[in-house]
Amino acid sequence: MDRALARRLEARFGTALHGPARQRHDQTEIRIGAGDVQDTLRALHDEPDLAFTILADLAGVDTGTEMQVVYHLWSATTTDWLRVIAEGLSRDDPRVPSVTFLWPGAEWMERETYDMFGITFEGNRDLRRIYMPPDYTSFPLRKDFYLPDDAARSPGAGVRHVERTHSPVDAAPGVLRQTKA
Amino acid sequence: MTDRPAYEPTPEERAATPMASDQSGNVPAALTVAGSTAVSEPIVLRNELWAPADPNAYNGGRPAEITHLAEFGATEAGRRDDARWSGLLEVIPTKADYVLDLLRANSLWPLLSGLACCAIEMMSFATSKNDIDRWGAFPFRASPRQADVLIVAGTLTTKMAGPLLRLWEQMPEPKWCVAMGDCTCSGGRYKRSYSTVEGIDRIMPVDVYVPGCPPRPEGLIFGMMKLQQLIKDRRGHWPERAIGPTVPAGV
Amino acid sequence: MATVTPPRTGDAPPRTFPKGTHPSEDDPNVLLEDDYAFYEPIPPYPPRTEREAEFYTLGDGEMFLNMGPQHPSTHGVLRVVLKLDGERVVDIDPVLGYLHRGVEKLVENADYHQTISQVDPLEYISSLFCEWAPVEAYERLLDVEVPRRAEYIRVLSGELNRIASHSLFLGWFALDLGGLTPILWSFIERDEIVEMLAALTGQRMLFNYFRIGGVNGDLNHEFMSRLGDWMSRAVVQIEAGEGLLNENEIFTRRASGLGVVDQATALRLCMTGANLRATGIPFDLRRAHPYSIYPELDFDIPTRTEGDSLARYLLRMEEIKQSLRIIDQCLEKMPDGPIMAKLPRLIRPRPGRAWAAVEGPRGIYGAYAISDGTDQPFRLKIHDPSFIHLQAVGALLPGNLLADTMAIMASLDPVMGGVDK
Repeated sequence: MDRALARRLEARFGTALHGPARQRHDQTEIRIGAGDVQDTLRALHDEPDLAFTILADLAGVDTGTEMQVVYHLWSATTTDWLRVIAEGLSRDDPRVPSVTFLWPGAEWMERETYDMFGITFEGNRDLRRIYMPPDYTSFPLRKDFYLPDDAARSPGAGVRHVERTHSPVDAAPGVLRQTKA
Repeated sequence: MTDRPAYEPTPEERAATPMASDQSGNVPAALTVAGSTAVSEPIVLRNELWAPADPNAYNGGRPAEITHLAEFGATEAGRRDDARWSGLLEVIPTKADYVLDLLRANSLWPLLSGLACCAIEMMSFATSKNDIDRWGAFPFRASPRQADVLIVAGTLTTKMAGPLLRLWEQMPEPKWCVAMGDCTCSGGRYKRSYSTVEGIDRIMPVDVYVPGCPPRPEGLIFGMMKLQQLIKDRRGHWPERAIGPTVPAGV
Repeated sequence: MATVTPPRTGDAPPRTFPKGTHPSEDDPNVLLEDDYAFYEPIPPYPPRTEREAEFYTLGDGEMFLNMGPQHPSTHGVLRVVLKLDGERVVDIDPVLGYLHRGVEKLVENADYHQTISQVDPLEYISSLFCEWAPVEAYERLLDVEVPRRAEYIRVLSGELNRIASHSLFLGWFALDLGGLTPILWSFIERDEIVEMLAALTGQRMLFNYFRIGGVNGDLNHEFMSRLGDWMSRAVVQIEAGEGLLNENEIFTRRASGLGVVDQATALRLCMTGANLRATGIPFDLRRAHPYSIYPELDFDIPTRTEGDSLARYLLRMEEIKQSLRIIDQCLEKMPDGPIMAKLPRLIRPRPGRAWAAVEGPRGIYGAYAISDGTDQPFRLKIHDPSFIHLQAVGALLPGNLLADTMAIMASLDPVMGGVDK
């Protein structure tokens, strides 16, 4: 857990971050809005004291209320992984700027996120489906796409113990509770 | 306080929502099996994919009456020397067909159709330690026109189902199909997925099922030996193959 | 000479045979070409993206060639549409998804323990690494400390799996360059290692061995005897396999200079693993971001600077030797103790997020797990290195001959299970 990294990031990005940088084990997490993605990642990539040159993963997340895009970065200047969460994307028309100008290798990762969630990456030259056939109309990993026997949602649900979700009583299914953890 | 979750649908919602036919309690009337649902006999569907040009081919669809070759050799038809295999002639087993079946069984050329993990075990079954060359099946042909047996090894997805069916159709008769691995037998661990086909017998006729995830190479060898036995047993008579899961719908 | 514009693929109607002339006319089961549309490499809709429009526009003298989902190379079901100028590849468009099984969705309906067996078949040749990353992520969510003996067993079995995977790479790379013997020797090697792992884990392939907090079964007598037996011959066998190829002039002349990547391009393409180390950047997660007990082990990170296929191949061979070193040290230093941490049967982590990455034979295998407090993961995202490397093929192929296409793809070592998830 690199406290110095958290301080550096908060000093550098200040108001662009939604809240303080959170740290757990060997990971540092910062949250930004969709519009700040390009500037933040360019700064993280180019500035020599940050130097996050390796993009390890680009993931999409559907929390039930909103969508997020999560980037995992590695730098030789710190012992932590950096997780950048671009949050606040709407579930109806999620749009986020693309990072293919920095990492052309992110093109397919963005295609996969588009295919699974419907998140449009503006600036990606090749935003078409990658896994599903090109005429497929749904986005499979969204929380409103139900598998035929999604245990929690099908009427025949929960015969076996493991088929019932043991959620806290007031949680709605398919919605991520944001907590302090 | 019942422990009924808040999100369990009301009866109105339940009636309004279309459900998959394998949901418990949802059996559309058309699929209900009247009477006992014990699995006594598989449902064999007629082969409607193709029909031979000559209606008398394949013994006119009747099962073979003569099963013993010696007995057969005593009849008029058995003394005829006819070594030509063609779908247009009546296929009453002749001695030549018997030999041809032996030839085919002992040199089954598989098509390279390894889709996923089972393909590695298929390759393992083809290489030195479990050598399939002992049974004559070493050349894995790349072109379906040259292959005899399609060993489908690996999960079949809906995107791949079209090309795989095309490969099957391009293979000339006689051809056989071996479903290797759980994913091809029944969908396996991906049965509930949105993009897989639950078993290749939904789209093509299967002769031998080799279960396992993945089946050991010895298991696949056993499957191939069963296939060889099947070829020799049929002696030129092509029974109708079942397409589709051969289990009654109510089970 | 008048310039000839070759017809665009798709313009010519399918070849028809007058009745009675087709060679398979009397076989009713053979599909004749005029009964169905031939497999059209160009999509039947107008291009929707810039790149699609750019690719599917033919220049002068170019043609499309479809290397369909079924082809003799053993990578798996990958469809590549090649734009060729004679024998030279001008551009490629890989089409994926023929093995997309929806693992990430299925995992959302499974318990944490069940997800381990679901992610096994992603990179089926190196299953243990596919399990390792999610298991580490869950351990971070749960704040679980893995016992040292379990960590040593994980490293031991992982390095064995790495050797098996690199042996297969050797076989397939040589096969795609035309050599038919090394693949047989690789499978012998792999069969031995995999029987060893079957004695340890119960399965030859999709092991389902790692558990949250440890491993499933302890070392047993059969495993140790097979391992000892194999280790005494391992180096000789591996060097015999290399000896077939390293001094083979055809192999070295074909592979050297093939598919060269330079450092900046490799980083921009997000390549990791041996493909990145072959360009000169010594990035290996076992040293760059140590996990498990790798800090206690003594091994080198081989690196090469040429960045071509031969460098990638030689690098993986050296990695096999380093893995053997690691296995030796694990066996020497193996501590006693439990092999699994004490955890409740039903895993229900606190809400949170965790990322874990391990260095697999192909690169970084990452797992990003989000927990919402229930006993099923809310989201599990798997990062797979083969997916990224296949994208890099598009940057490496243009300018090369058609025969080198599969060679370059084989040198990047993709496994379609992981690419398609």
